[in-house]
Amino acid sequence: MGNSFSFTKPLLETPFHERTYEACYNNDWYRWAGYKIAREYSNTELEYTAMRNTAGVLDITPMHKYDIKGTDAIKFVDKLVTRNVTEINSGQVMYIIWCNEDGNVIDDGTVFCFNSNHLRIFCAERNLNWFSDTAIGFNVEVEDVSDTIAALAFQGPLTCKILNLLNVKDIENLKPFYFDKFDLNGCKVTISRTGFSGDLGYEIWCKNEDAINVWDSLFTFNRDYKVLPAGMNALEMVRVEAGFIQPNADFMSAEQALRPNRVRNPYELGMGWLVDLNKNYFTGKKNLVNLKKKTLTKKLVGLDIQGDKPAIGSVLYDKNKKEIGIVTAGMWSPSLKSNIAFGYVDKDHMKIGSKVFAEIYHPEELEYKKIWAECSVVKKQFFNPPRRHKVPAEI
Amino acid sequence: MRKFDIIIIGGGHNGLVAASVLSKKGNKVLVIEKNENLGGLSNYVNSLSYISEEVLKELNIKIEKDINENYVSALSDDLNHTVLKITGNKNIEILQTNASESDQANFFNLINKYDLFARTLRSFMFNKPPRVKSGSRSDIWQLFSMGFKVRLLGKKNMRELLRVIGLNIADDLEDNINNNTLKGLISSEAVIGTNLGARSPGSILNLLYNQATNNSIFRINKYNTNSFLNSIREICKKNNVEIETNKKVEKIGISNQNVNSVLLDTGEEIQTSLIISNVDPKTTYLKLVGAANLDTDFIRRTKNYRTKGTVAKIHIDFKNEIKINNLDTKYLSGKFVYAPDIKYIEHAFNDNKYNKLSSNPCLEFYINKNRLSANVYFIPYLISSSHDKTEILSNVKMILEKFITENQILSSAIETPNDIEDKYNISGGHWSHGDMEIDQLLMMRPFYGSSQYSTPINGLYLCSAGTHPGGGVTGINGINAAKQLLKDKRNG
Ligand SMILES: Cc1cc2nc3c(=O)[nH]c(=O)nc-3n(C[C@H](O)[C@H](O)[C@H](O)COP(=O)(O)OP(=O)(O)OC[C@H]3O[C@@H](n4cnc5c(N)ncnc54)[C@H](O)[C@@H]3O)c2cc1C
Repeated sequence: MGNSFSFTKPLLETPFHERTYEACYNNDWYRWAGYKIAREYSNTELEYTAMRNTAGVLDITPMHKYDIKGTDAIKFVDKLVTRNVTEINSGQVMYIIWCNEDGNVIDDGTVFCFNSNHLRIFCAERNLNWFSDTAIGFNVEVEDVSDTIAALAFQGPLTCKILNLLNVKDIENLKPFYFDKFDLNGCKVTISRTGFSGDLGYEIWCKNEDAINVWDSLFTFNRDYKVLPAGMNALEMVRVEAGFIQPNADFMSAEQALRPNRVRNPYELGMGWLVDLNKNYFTGKKNLVNLKKKTLTKKLVGLDIQGDKPAIGSVLYDKNKKEIGIVTAGMWSPSLKSNIAFGYVDKDHMKIGSKVFAEIYHPEELEYKKIWAECSVVKKQFFNPPRRHKVPAEI
Repeated sequence: MRKFDIIIIGGGHNGLVAASVLSKKGNKVLVIEKNENLGGLSNYVNSLSYISEEVLKELNIKIEKDINENYVSALSDDLNHTVLKITGNKNIEILQTNASESDQANFFNLINKYDLFARTLRSFMFNKPPRVKSGSRSDIWQLFSMGFKVRLLGKKNMRELLRVIGLNIADDLEDNINNNTLKGLISSEAVIGTNLGARSPGSILNLLYNQATNNSIFRINKYNTNSFLNSIREICKKNNVEIETNKKVEKIGISNQNVNSVLLDTGEEIQTSLIISNVDPKTTYLKLVGAANLDTDFIRRTKNYRTKGTVAKIHIDFKNEIKINNLDTKYLSGKFVYAPDIKYIEHAFNDNKYNKLSSNPCLEFYINKNRLSANVYFIPYLISSSHDKTEILSNVKMILEKFITENQILSSAIETPNDIEDKYNISGGHWSHGDMEIDQLLMMRPFYGSSQYSTPINGLYLCSAGTHPGGGVTGINGINAAKQLLKDKRNG
């Protein structure tokens, strides 16, 4: 895909830019929260393969980062999100979603607990306004610290081994969804065992001035391990395989949707497991209690599609050719050797194993080939290897 | 722990009205009032012009009329004052003026037009307005009947209502009248107690709204506020309502989105499953309920609900009985307005917009022998600074010196919107517990998600001026809230 933006204001460069710029042969940049992030460095398939077989490095600096400080920090997050976070421990990370009063999802993210008076939320969309309004009545300060922290996702089966070779002490014992402070090549960094890839992997948070040093260190053993910088296209592939959905791609954020029927609640997104209706009051609880009782009319599901042509943007039908939904993300998965997608289906086709049909328009040398492909409804999490959860991690 | 069927937070007139309605039905009711005196903001009201038949009937009370003839004097710097005589609801006569014949005729045409429109609005005042987005049949019926009443005006008048309802009062006046004093007088009624200047859109709507609830464009004294309050208090007493004053509710106890108690500043906790709050919506939600029990969107709307007060109350005691220069003493029992022209009002309002004090404020005052009691506007409610009260007083005195001479001021006292907020615990010390503008009226009052006197918390109701139909001493808010509670109680 070519560069389709005509920028009126130059995009910001992350602290890794000196390196990402050198590595980005294609000079193909993606606009993420006002920053330039490589869409493809040289070849998406290679970058993807590095993440699945060795290790890939992604510049995720543009992630929004909000510090929550004050004696009510935990109470505040508990009021904000649908999960019970009152039991969160120092050093723990939780995956969270938050809803508006109608019970429709605004965004998802992770929350890091430094101590009971200091948490930090990471998310893809801007949320300062929402967080600040949620903070009314709580003894907390919400601060946007996005620009003060540089961040890399280091994802793939060899990541622990490489960090271990870099003398990051005890890194193999870091449990999934935990984080700690470490020394990396002489820099003080925070490393969490988290990521978008659904595989073993880490996210590394450092000061802006240490960014280049941290970046370089991850490529120290490249002769043997072939670490590659990975762009947004490769990220898109791994996150679909891992079953992670994305606001404004798989659903419209309730804060941004203009059309009233475009918003989605957690049950429709298959995120009901994240909603705890027995915890203290949180935004949306009242309506979620009602929604839970109702039968769903549509749901986002995983699809295993016949053939090998990605069903990007396809409309879904039942066997009588009645339109029942749409595909929000689709790809040929090289690791799974299958044609996978996320899509919305109606209430008669939500069960695992249901059969639906996708109408795929596949471009072939200036002509579209129209394919009628059978799909099975499956779990969204397509890729989930045991090494992702193993403690100690493989070194 | 003590226990009551229903607790009313605040002994303002609406709280007391609600208590009387509820106690009549055999409920054990407790009213808790922060101040020593009951009545809340109605203690500032000099001119109670109207209590509707509906309210009098519901409460089964009669209140005495103070006087039959009323005067409104619009003071003019050149001492050519305009004096109106008002008999009955809308029988208005001009006793003296320097306005031309045609101006006078146009003045009456305008007043009659506003009166017609206000009567249409009045029919919305006593019902609860329909809820937004509810889809329920009664709500749709309500909306339909509101539209129908507007349609009954006939084509020409309906068009005119729809034309002016969003307009500013200055435009409509300037289209019809030349005389500055008359323009100032009507404009003043359209902007007092609001955050609107004479040129702000919505000032006509506010005028009509005031006129509808007061049944008179000049809100002129007819009833005695105290006698109204006393008769409500009598009913409360007769029905064994317990009233405790000098006690403040600090927090509403809530579990699982249900009301279960109130916590007082004395440390006492009193059990109940039903509460009506006479406190303004913003304070009720943010302080008494607490943000932790409310959705963020709802908190946002509460935060954005505009409650910046603009009126200060001043009492000045003179050495001798007060006389106004070049004005017959028989008009002294009436109301005085000093808002000499539209530009003057607009300037006073402009300073308020920037949270500054105008050195030339508008005045509405009454005289009782040696004492003068004035509403002074626009005096902004200040968040991060405090008022120079001596400056306000000296500004007011400078104006009064034009009209009151050969008399000496013995003492004066002022309450700014900030003082009113402190005393009555009402956000911004706002006249109507929140601006009366199109986005905060009818089904949008106080805001979406909180209309029809109900709240997101089960068992909690609102009856303050912050609900429909808004501010002023009407008692309608109290009656409607009590009725809504009783209806929900019946339906379980
Ligand atoms: C300066 C001024 C002049 C006005 N002049 C006029 C006029 O001429 N004509 C007219 O029609 N209207 C006038 N108004 C408006 C009118 O007075 C009010 O709109 C009306 O009185 C509101 O009545 P209410 O019962 O809804 O609320 P309020 O009278 O405000 O009652 C609320 C009560 O709750 C109490 N309270 C608050 N918090 C607590 C707590 N935590 N615990 C216990 N008690 C609590 C307060 O002390 C108060 O008594 C004026 C208002 C002001 C400020």
